[in-house]
Amino acid sequence: MSEITKTDPSKFLSDIIGNSVVVKLHNGIQYSGNLQSIDGFMNIVLDDGKELVGNEVGKNFGDVFIRGNNGT
Amino acid sequence: MLVLLHPYLQVQNPPMSEASEPQTILPLEVIDKSVGKKIRVLLTNDKEFTGTLIGFDDFVNMVLEDVVEESNDGVSDKVIKKMLLNGGQVAMIVPS
Repeated sequence: MSEITKTDPSKFLSDIIGNSVVVKLHNGIQYSGNLQSIDGFMNIVLDDGKELVGNEVGKNFGDVFIRGNNGT
Repeated sequence: MLVLLHPYLQVQNPPMSEASEPQTILPLEVIDKSVGKKIRVLLTNDKEFTGTLIGFDDFVNMVLEDVVEESNDGVSDKVIKKMLLNGGQVAMIVPS
């Protein structure tokens, strides 16, 4: 039963590729965008990335690479 | 490999005393038992997440559902539908 409902992180990540996501960093800044890819280090590539500081939209980026160690 | 199949060398497992004495409980077992249940996760940076545990891995990265975030400035009013929490900052997991 639990086998069906259990979704470990790697499966979760492969499921959500292509969806729009929000990535929170240690420093409190959030980046939203379309998840293009993610690897085992949790390095993340976003498409159409937007920076959110607090609740305000900061800069707009095209492609964004986030080094894995920064993600919360 | 052949040696292992020799009957004299096969280890006879002593019968497990299951009910009598609680065996050592591995930390990951505790988390595994909490899959599908509500848990509270405390991070090293004074943040807290409460939500349903969907899954986890050996780094204690966790997939959580319907998560409420709580920090020292209060409880966030919006519920995060589904999230992956990096295990790097996890300090404590409380099954509830």
